[in-house]
Amino acid sequence: MLQATELTKKYGKFTALNALNLSVKKGDIFCLLGANGAGKSTTINLFLNFIEPTGGKATINALDVTQHGKATKKLLSYIPENLMLYPNLTGLENLDFFCGLGGKSYSKDHLEELLKQSGLQTNFLHKRVSNYSKGMRQKVGIALARAREASVLLLDEPTSGLDPKASNEFSELLLDMKDKGVATLMATHDLFRAKDTGTHIGIMKEGILIEQFASDDVSFQDLEKLYLKHMHN
Amino acid sequence: MNQLIFIAKKEIKVAIRERLVISLGAIIILLLGVALYAGYISYRQQQQIITQTQIEKRQEWLNQGDKHPHIAAHYGTFVFKPKTILSLFDFGLDAYTGTSVYLEAHHQHEFMFRPAQDHSSMIRFGELSAALVLQVLVPLLIIFLAFASFTRERESGTLKLLMSQGTSFNTLTWGKILAYAVMLAVILLPFLLGLVLLSVSHMSYDVIPDITVRVAMLVLIYGLYLCFFIAFSVWVSLRSGSGRNALLTLLTCWIFFAILLPKTVANLSESFYSLPSMREFKAQIDETKRNGLDGKTPRSVRMANLKKEYLEKYGVDSVQQLPFNFEGVSMQAGEEFGDQVYDYHLNNLREIFHKQNQLGSIASLFNPYLAVQHLSMALSGTDIHTFIHFEEEVERYRRELVRKMNQDMAENSKYGEFYGYKAGSDLWGEIEDFSYRAPTAWQLLSYYKLELISLMLWMALTMVLLHVANRKMKPIHE
Repeated sequence: MLQATELTKKYGKFTALNALNLSVKKGDIFCLLGANGAGKSTTINLFLNFIEPTGGKATINALDVTQHGKATKKLLSYIPENLMLYPNLTGLENLDFFCGLGGKSYSKDHLEELLKQSGLQTNFLHKRVSNYSKGMRQKVGIALARAREASVLLLDEPTSGLDPKASNEFSELLLDMKDKGVATLMATHDLFRAKDTGTHIGIMKEGILIEQFASDDVSFQDLEKLYLKHMHN
Repeated sequence: MNQLIFIAKKEIKVAIRERLVISLGAIIILLLGVALYAGYISYRQQQQIITQTQIEKRQEWLNQGDKHPHIAAHYGTFVFKPKTILSLFDFGLDAYTGTSVYLEAHHQHEFMFRPAQDHSSMIRFGELSAALVLQVLVPLLIIFLAFASFTRERESGTLKLLMSQGTSFNTLTWGKILAYAVMLAVILLPFLLGLVLLSVSHMSYDVIPDITVRVAMLVLIYGLYLCFFIAFSVWVSLRSGSGRNALLTLLTCWIFFAILLPKTVANLSESFYSLPSMREFKAQIDETKRNGLDGKTPRSVRMANLKKEYLEKYGVDSVQQLPFNFEGVSMQAGEEFGDQVYDYHLNNLREIFHKQNQLGSIASLFNPYLAVQHLSMALSGTDIHTFIHFEEEVERYRRELVRKMNQDMAENSKYGEFYGYKAGSDLWGEIEDFSYRAPTAWQLLSYYKLELISLMLWMALTMVLLHVANRKMKPIHE
């Protein structure tokens, strides 16, 4: 589903991403670990075609994102670190609006159901988003991904700043989507969440993917040691 | 198209919930309502006074009794510039040009009752008219509505989410422009309905027969002007790094367009092409009348030449032998010479006006506000060209009145009899009451080609800027 081939991004002399090669298949959750500035968000932004690659290419469903921006965006859903919605609209109205933008039209009942399935409390469905916590907004993001029937999920540190309960709920929702065949690429600092939720893990440093492996191949302790080893080198 | 509608609907919903549009919209509706109502009341009062006074003056003319025609020509009459229903929309130059003029033989009196003379300069600048609200205040409303259209999406992070849905900048931009246009249309709708109702109420049809065309063109021109402001504000927001920058940029543009540039152009045109004072103008006319157009033919010489010409033409030795009263002929000749002198100096004066206007028209190429201001006055019949047209009609009427008086004197009285001869109501009745019909909108617009081009150029320029910005823009500044 998601493929990066020699994907490179440079800002002048600074290389933010250096010849990245990675592949995320249907039902995979690929977690990108790394310190700030490692190139995780750059990777996500390149797949979103928010920035132009300096070299290589990013494809979604074999479509180059720079040439088929609109078509590839129909396949994906994106949840940033801090999903910002329109504060003066309710969660339901936000969902309806973003679904409409993506060409999906649902009944109010169905949208309510999607929000409930994504873990949003019923009494918040019709409240303005200005009253929502970050976790609630992330849930609306998951509901949006479901509503859009996205086959690719791009997550940029989605659990950062969430309390453990909200973070756990979010992971469960990801696993649910994984079971439905969604390919997920998630940038995160959270080693525990990466091991717990991810099917594959990659460690990035200074724009280079220095290590990638299946999460089942390492224990949490080994992952932590490996990560710290790379960060200290 | 669906995305566009979705974005427009969302923008409207968010704007309504933020209440800013409601508060500002209510202020605009109130101001326009007050302007329209006050304008209508003032129109009714003035129209009533003008109609009543015109009837009185007509009756005075008809019932002035038996008198010598030349005395009647000096007794004269008043004519009034009819107040049109559109002048309540845009006062234009009405406050400066005056509404009535006294018509008399030998003299071209200046127009009287200029409200600007009675007001301080501050009141003159800020006199509330619907045109002022639309030209100056509604763009300010647009700025406050649209300055954050993109910067807020960028600053709050919703832009990335929007873009990840496959929305293009182009769709987003036009969706926002559509939303602001719809909100503005709703805010202006009550005023628009009021204006249309007044314009189709058959008031002022005798003066402006194409009033419906004019209203339609006013709607079109103001629509274009306000759409330009919407598109421009959205473009500035699209290009700005923060909402604060966008607001500052737009407010600077507004001050420059609506206050600084118009004042500068007015001052410059006055400095480059200075008008003589009324006193100087009259002194020049008196001087030329005294010494002739060539400066060396005084009245006595002109009269002697005229007498000689008539005596030779009719082969007689004295004016008493002429088959008509020579006094009537000499009166008319004096009148025609006076007209010639007046036309000469008036043309010089109008040449200066013309140059000043030309500078204003050229300046309007750099300022859409000036363009719409000129076009609005023209279509409302309160511009300088309508006034000049009215002035010419009045002068034509005055000359015809004096000519008839002199002709009657020449044909029916005897030389030397002068005050002994008296004409009556039959002659007074031969002078038709003055009625005025303004030039058509198309005739007037022919003077304002640069203004029309300006509006279209600014709109086209903004479209190009938006197109380029939309193509280059990315949700993340690299």
